[in-house]
Amino acid sequence: MDRRTFIQWGAGLAGLSTYLLSCKPERKIPGVIVGANATRGHLLRDKESHRPANYIDKELVIVGGGISGLSAARWLRNLGIKDMSLLELEDHVGGNAHYGQNDLSAYPWGAHYIPVPNNDLTEYLSFLAECEVIVNTDAGGLPVYNELSLCFDPQERLYINGRWQEGLIPQFGVPTTEMKQIELFLQRMEEYRYKKGNDGKDAFAIPVDRSSKDPLYTKLDEITMKQWMQQEGFSSESLQEYINYCCRDDFGTTMDTISAWAGIHYFASRKGKGANASHSDVLTWPEGNGYLVNSLRRSVSEFIETNRLVTRVTSVKEGIFIDYLDGKTGQVAGYRAGKCILAVPQFIAARLLEDKVRQQLVKEKVHYSPWMVANLKVDKLEERSGAPLSWDNVLHGSQSLGYVEASHQLLQQDKTQRNLTYYLPLTQEPPAEARKKAQAKTHAQWVKEILDELRIVHPNIDEAVTEVNVVLWGHAMAQPLPGIIHGGIRQQLAQSPDPRIQFAHTDLAGISIFEEAFYQGINAAKKMVE
Amino acid sequence: MRKENGAQWLLLVAVFVIATCGLIYELVAGTLASYLLGDSVTQFSTIIGVYLFSMGIGSFLSRYFTGNLLEWFIRIELLVGLIGGFSAAILFLVFPMAASFRIILYGLVSLTGVLVGLEIPILMRILQDKVEFKELVSRVFTFDYIGALLASLIFPLLLVPHLGLIRTSLFFGILNIAVGWYLASYFKKEIKQGFLLRMLAILLLLAELVAFVFSESIMSYSETMTYNDQVVYSTSSPYQRIVITRNKRELRLFLNGNLQFSSADEYRYHEALVHPALSSVSSLKRVLVLGGGDGIAVREILKYPAVEKIELVDLDAKMTDLFSTQEVLRSINQSSLLNKKVTVHNEDALTWLRNNRELFDAVVIDFPDPSGFSVGKLYSTVFYQLLRKAMSPDAVAVVQSTSPYVAPKSFWCVDTTLQSAGFLTKPYHNYVPSFGEWGYIMAFTNTNRNWYAQMPDSLRYLNRETLTQLFVFPEDMKAHAKLETNRLNNQALVNYFEEEWGNYLE
Ligand SMILES: Cc1cc2nc3c(=O)[nH]c(=O)nc-3n(C[C@H](O)[C@H](O)[C@H](O)COP(=O)(O)OP(=O)(O)OC[C@H]3O[C@@H](n4cnc5c(N)ncnc54)[C@H](O)[C@@H]3O)c2cc1C
Repeated sequence: MDRRTFIQWGAGLAGLSTYLLSCKPERKIPGVIVGANATRGHLLRDKESHRPANYIDKELVIVGGGISGLSAARWLRNLGIKDMSLLELEDHVGGNAHYGQNDLSAYPWGAHYIPVPNNDLTEYLSFLAECEVIVNTDAGGLPVYNELSLCFDPQERLYINGRWQEGLIPQFGVPTTEMKQIELFLQRMEEYRYKKGNDGKDAFAIPVDRSSKDPLYTKLDEITMKQWMQQEGFSSESLQEYINYCCRDDFGTTMDTISAWAGIHYFASRKGKGANASHSDVLTWPEGNGYLVNSLRRSVSEFIETNRLVTRVTSVKEGIFIDYLDGKTGQVAGYRAGKCILAVPQFIAARLLEDKVRQQLVKEKVHYSPWMVANLKVDKLEERSGAPLSWDNVLHGSQSLGYVEASHQLLQQDKTQRNLTYYLPLTQEPPAEARKKAQAKTHAQWVKEILDELRIVHPNIDEAVTEVNVVLWGHAMAQPLPGIIHGGIRQQLAQSPDPRIQFAHTDLAGISIFEEAFYQGINAAKKMVE
Repeated sequence: MRKENGAQWLLLVAVFVIATCGLIYELVAGTLASYLLGDSVTQFSTIIGVYLFSMGIGSFLSRYFTGNLLEWFIRIELLVGLIGGFSAAILFLVFPMAASFRIILYGLVSLTGVLVGLEIPILMRILQDKVEFKELVSRVFTFDYIGALLASLIFPLLLVPHLGLIRTSLFFGILNIAVGWYLASYFKKEIKQGFLLRMLAILLLLAELVAFVFSESIMSYSETMTYNDQVVYSTSSPYQRIVITRNKRELRLFLNGNLQFSSADEYRYHEALVHPALSSVSSLKRVLVLGGGDGIAVREILKYPAVEKIELVDLDAKMTDLFSTQEVLRSINQSSLLNKKVTVHNEDALTWLRNNRELFDAVVIDFPDPSGFSVGKLYSTVFYQLLRKAMSPDAVAVVQSTSPYVAPKSFWCVDTTLQSAGFLTKPYHNYVPSFGEWGYIMAFTNTNRNWYAQMPDSLRYLNRETLTQLFVFPEDMKAHAKLETNRLNNQALVNYFEEEWGNYLE
């Protein structure tokens, strides 16, 4: 540190001590709670049900422009289907993989990365080549990944026992007996990674549906991850905290509620290998999976219709009648389609179909985690000792998942400002309560909560932060509770009441990741042309 | 009665000043220690701890003070002013010299603590017969704590930003002494050595005033100590601390404390950097320089009359401005940056390269060593792939690649990385006294050329014979192991570099 920065540092200290004395009026941090998806969604729930005057004929309509819907559209377009529409309620496609942008960089509002894919996912690999994420194939047939998409080093750090350590697996200050358990656990996961069932299939595959049905493994779907940990004698607190973090990170819920099969799947399903990457590497962009959304969007742009809230889907002999509300004009309108893909969450699909049985089933079995995601724009941050700022920055034992630096993949050497994406799955209360509480909170309350936590690792956060924007995902993802994946519920939900209507959504995969959405789309599309 | 009352209030004001000053000294010490030693939490808590404990010792010791308490009080006041006042300056000065900096630091903190700890009990004893006990306790502590509050507010808000640490501590030293002097004058009838004390106070006051005025030079003197030589210029840009020192023989440039060149032998470095590559390009018209904001590489490039255009990309405008305007520095680069063939771009090299559409016949890359993740990007496959796109088919690039003697893995890692980006390479090295053995790597795609054919005459270091020696590597400068390629997603080079230079400097 030189003397000039020292003086600035001193000024930072000034801020800190004024904070401690709390005699400075609190600065209002600019920013908003973004997005009206909750209110628009409610329109659907509380809608007035008059029908449009006339319907336009379409061969095929896709409802929902998330990854599942876009992937279905892409597949159908490649098959030469032209008379098709994709209806999306927002003014943009992308769904949970949507992103924002400021003068510094783009930043994710939800999904922000994909791991290096498994090599048996041919369609997925060729899509990634289309997006220039895979740039080549080496002599041994392994994909060569674009180095601008592979997460730059340093990738991850964990704040534990007063210090940043490299990597997310707890190490610093963890007693050796616990370290032994952690090693043992990881060893078990490594074994599971390459295990095959009696049907010759991978025990834990992606998409989930390609996994073995061997009861030896599927019975893990009958207990919770916590029960499994107890059975196996994994009692280490640091290990449990880590597993709990992983569960909240991927499923938005804690390890005492999710299925052990799903929990193990998180660790054991990744087997990908590239010429310049392995299964522990991730692919990411400033806009997160928005990068992939843009590529999908470009390939099907002529079919996309945004600001269309679909309110009802009725199947009769004459066709599938799809009513929607035009968000711009406020008018109701409709399509009469030969076929329809519902690429929306199941709780919405059940409502659109006005299918009471499905509604009841969803209500009983499918639980959606609410999430809060915030994007912070910050000036230079004061750092605690240990590992330097990384892409993923996690605080051990925290309610949040920490933050990802969205500007990490920018190439410039010196960054005076950064965009940080902060993730908080609302797991402290049951989903409905958590959702209600979250919706009642003001921008200032969220900001205070976020800064209170980040202050632990960045003492000058109050001065450094220049903007905070917040998004609430009321129904971010369906939780893979015991029984969801192998207990027949998914299969029951995937059954369509009419072969002309198919479902595509990560809800039906049981696990909410890009690959599942991508294949949900393809599978539904394939059924459309069968 | 009146006088008595006035005296009492005067003493209470003294308590107030003492409390303020005491806390300020402690804050100065804490801040300074975190600045010089890092880890602010540890520094602040140990310093506060030691300080409070020392105050306890002071309070304990106060029982042994008898006789004329007022006189003791004034003496202590002056002593606090002296020690506290000079504390920051002393610490800045001893930091580069003393191996046992911490001992001096905690010594000063304890001493101030003991003295401040003495003052309150002594003062209470002075006032004990004059005021009722409950009044006394209430007043003394009220003033004490208000003083502390005041200190903790003005220190961060006003003092550090506006005065800096050295002046802050001197300012409060002056206050301390002024109070001592005033008390000595006010109570001159009640103390025996009044005159002596007052003279002493004035002397100390003068000393601190002088130090206050010259504090800038104390600062730069302490910087000089760190750098051995006299600091002739120092400034900070948003990116780095730039310091230029000089002694009888040479002028040196430091960036963030790392030596960049010494005027005595920089020609060895820059001739070796520029000429092997440039002399091997038959049609040399457009040259790109990345880094090298000191303009010295450009000076060497301008020795090729065929060159029509030089683009220099350096992040730091402060550097290129300095080396275009300052007389001493222009005498080193021979005003190269003002040459009309030269265009300076103050931009990030990676971003610049990405946007660049032009082709260059030679590229000279003179970046700082890969000591961190952000600079490490400039040695990655991605960077070298962009570099290749900026080179004409016949072009040669050269990369300064740290010391193959100190850091052979780092050096050969750069070589591996260049090759995996599709380049052919020629690594070489030479001896630069102020750096030691230094390494460079030429990168090109076409090896069919007349190597070194256009070498300018009358260079100070390079000639035909030395040229051939550059490419010979002794065993201890070879890698002896398979090295990783430096990619953005592994930053292998930064790890090698840290390991090797870390060991070397330990
Ligand atoms: C905060 C968060 C972080 C995540 N991070 C990751 C990650 O890093 N990596 C990863 O792989 N996955 C991540 N996920 C999971 C992510 O949900 C999936 O990867 C994927 O994006 C889901 O796509 P989908 O199409 O199945 O669903 P959705 O994204 O839910 O798409 C449904 C679409 O339908 C639209 N819609 C809904 N109702 C209607 C209606 N009535 N009419 C018209 N349109 C309608 C919605 O607006 C939406 O666009 C994350 C999810 C969240 C919430």
